[in-house]
Amino acid sequence: MFREAAFNDFQRDSTLDGTSAGFVMDEETFRAFYERSARGLWAYLARLTGDRQLAEDLLQETFYRFLRASAVYDNETHRRNSLYRIATNLARDVRRRNMARGFSVSAGDDIERVPSGQDAGTTERMTDFTLAMSRLKPRERAMLWLAYAEGASHQEIADVLGLRTASLKAMLFRARRKLAALLGRAPQGSKP
Amino acid sequence: MKPIECELESEVLAAVLQGLWPTGVDDSLRNHVAACGICADVAAIAGAIDNDREEMRARAAVPDSGRVWWLAQMRARREAAQAAGRPITVAQVIAFACAMGLLGACFGATSAWFQSSLRRTVSSLGALGSQALLPAVLAFAAGHGALLLGMATILLIIPAALYLTMLRE
Repeated sequence: MFREAAFNDFQRDSTLDGTSAGFVMDEETFRAFYERSARGLWAYLARLTGDRQLAEDLLQETFYRFLRASAVYDNETHRRNSLYRIATNLARDVRRRNMARGFSVSAGDDIERVPSGQDAGTTERMTDFTLAMSRLKPRERAMLWLAYAEGASHQEIADVLGLRTASLKAMLFRARRKLAALLGRAPQGSKP
Repeated sequence: MKPIECELESEVLAAVLQGLWPTGVDDSLRNHVAACGICADVAAIAGAIDNDREEMRARAAVPDSGRVWWLAQMRARREAAQAAGRPITVAQVIAFACAMGLLGACFGATSAWFQSSLRRTVSSLGALGSQALLPAVLAFAAGHGALLLGMATILLIIPAALYLTMLRE
């Protein structure tokens, strides 16, 4: 209630002064970009961290840093890659901090709190997938998600994860093998 | 060296993402996937990830864009105000230290009690001093007691005030 009231007050104030706290992006552009990318980014962060609440916190922090960066982007892909790079770095920092404190969250500890309306088949399928994902390294999860959920190119994935494109291909191949095996597909020869 | 890429990989991926795999594709592609480990992996995991993505997106609990914008603005303004306030704080510390030094110097220069007790202390110390340098230093201190007191005050107060400011921030 308080937040709602404060939000309405702010709306009035901002229409009066018309400022945007020094961000390069205006509110309308930001909101449109947010609507297009927030759900996908949340899913990425939730899979990467295994924690829904943490994913939401990181999502807000990511968008804040994205706005503060005040960079000018050539196109939507460039803008989206920048967003995912910030998110990946934040998730990595959180993981390192948690490891330094002596505790860690495996990817999936919190994800499987599914809504009650979810059917049993969906829940079971998600649990299997979550379990398989949780056995991958965070970087493997990130690259597989970017490649197959976000449809990013090798160059884009390398850019987001801070890797060389040449190394990425081999790493992606190994991660794919590992996940396929974890999902129960019998390993085959890799000869095309 | 084992191959890590297949030229038909992207075709398999496209078929999976368009929901055409496995029934909506040519027999030749199906046969290729059956024999190619790389494409079989792609077919196995791409569908699973895509399904998971759809389910995760449907369950995503993201805050309203207006709220995110509002919070970002509030935070940016707060940080900007803090950043702008920092030089003022340093200037305030220096001004405070100078004022204290000046106050100390005025006190030293105007207080007869302070002057006389300083001279008495200096003369008693001078009587004890055996080296030639010491009486000269003491004589200077006696003559410029107020100045020395002011400088000592500044030297003591500035680090203390800076430390307290840093601690507060």
